[in-house]
Amino acid sequence: MKNALRLVVPVLVTCIVAAAGLAVTYKVTEPKIAEQDRLAEERSLQAVLPDATFTCLESSRIQDDIDAAAGPVDVLDTFHAAIDGKHAGWAVKVASRGYGGPMVVVIGLDTSGSVSGVTILSHNETPGLGTKVITDEWFLEQFPTLEAGFTDADVRNLDAISGTTKSSNGVRNGVAAAGRVYTEVLSGLGEGGFE
Amino acid sequence: MSEWFRVFKQGLSIENPLTVLMIGLCATLAVSTQFQNALFMGLAVIFVLTMSNVLISLFRKAIPSEVRIPIFIVIIAAFVTIVDLVMKAFVPGVYAVLGIWIPLIVVNCIILGRAEAFAYVNGVGLSIADGLGMGIGYSTVIVLLAFVRELFGTGHIVWFEGTLISLPSGYAPPSLLLLFPGAFLVFAFMIVGARWINERFEARKEAAACRP
Repeated sequence: MKNALRLVVPVLVTCIVAAAGLAVTYKVTEPKIAEQDRLAEERSLQAVLPDATFTCLESSRIQDDIDAAAGPVDVLDTFHAAIDGKHAGWAVKVASRGYGGPMVVVIGLDTSGSVSGVTILSHNETPGLGTKVITDEWFLEQFPTLEAGFTDADVRNLDAISGTTKSSNGVRNGVAAAGRVYTEVLSGLGEGGFE
Repeated sequence: MSEWFRVFKQGLSIENPLTVLMIGLCATLAVSTQFQNALFMGLAVIFVLTMSNVLISLFRKAIPSEVRIPIFIVIIAAFVTIVDLVMKAFVPGVYAVLGIWIPLIVVNCIILGRAEAFAYVNGVGLSIADGLGMGIGYSTVIVLLAFVRELFGTGHIVWFEGTLISLPSGYAPPSLLLLFPGAFLVFAFMIVGARWINERFEARKEAAACRP
């Protein structure tokens, strides 16, 4: 018994001290981290639909429909965008599978459902290779050429970057999913139906 | 004091964790695709290694040897989590790329290895020297490796939003360097270089010792 205590007490003390230290660090950094996440999200929303104010859709009923429409791609958030109080479109935040894990892609859609912009919020692709989907600007810039009512086949017809197929597909699958979400769910909501 | 410098220098040269001991290679090869990331990875390792060495050598008499490994791991994990949170809060751009490799420092054998082999049996002063020496030795190698791979693999060195160095635009970078085979090739050359330097120093030391 005495021997057990001799072993247990140091481990216990170490764990308690470590936990206390981590609690303090967490408390200090938590607001900063939340702020950084919010800023990053805000930046990518602004990039896909400039000057709009975004409200997150929070209806669980719609969420089921959205998930069904998106298929294998995870829809993390759907935002309604308004400029000066008027309906201006939608932004869809999806997690799509790239080469190094999920890529979080934000897709902006205008009121007619055509793509207004695409940004990549976070990813874990190979630097210098998979990251070409961001650094080769023409790749993301080709998505706004998609017209309203675009289908999966239209997205597949866009160019991928050679040597970066998996990452390119990650982005394309994300955009295709956003297109399906628009056609099957968002377009039916109408202007005032987003509450 | 000379003992302190001897221990410190060992981490950089004849006991360099990467080129000589060859431990902790997995994260090294994976992270060394970008100069900037490698630098932050190096800083993270220096911090965790030195702090865990200090704590473990301070309390080494109070740590029963039967449960020393769990205690080492808890101490190391705590420091790694601190680095993880701080990086997330202050350099989110770097964190976004380093991602999983920061938490994985916990299982990096360099840190546990130094705790077990050095800090647990030596005093605080020497453990600091060991932590700093090993940490800086690790960082030098990973930063150099990343520098070569990024410069010749992409054609330029990126630092946050800007570009530090650019090769002439006619240079067609072989992406092989950014992939794992490239990492092994460049690393092999670095081992050769490190051996050559170490042997030259050894030879000079022997020559000095022979002199009457």
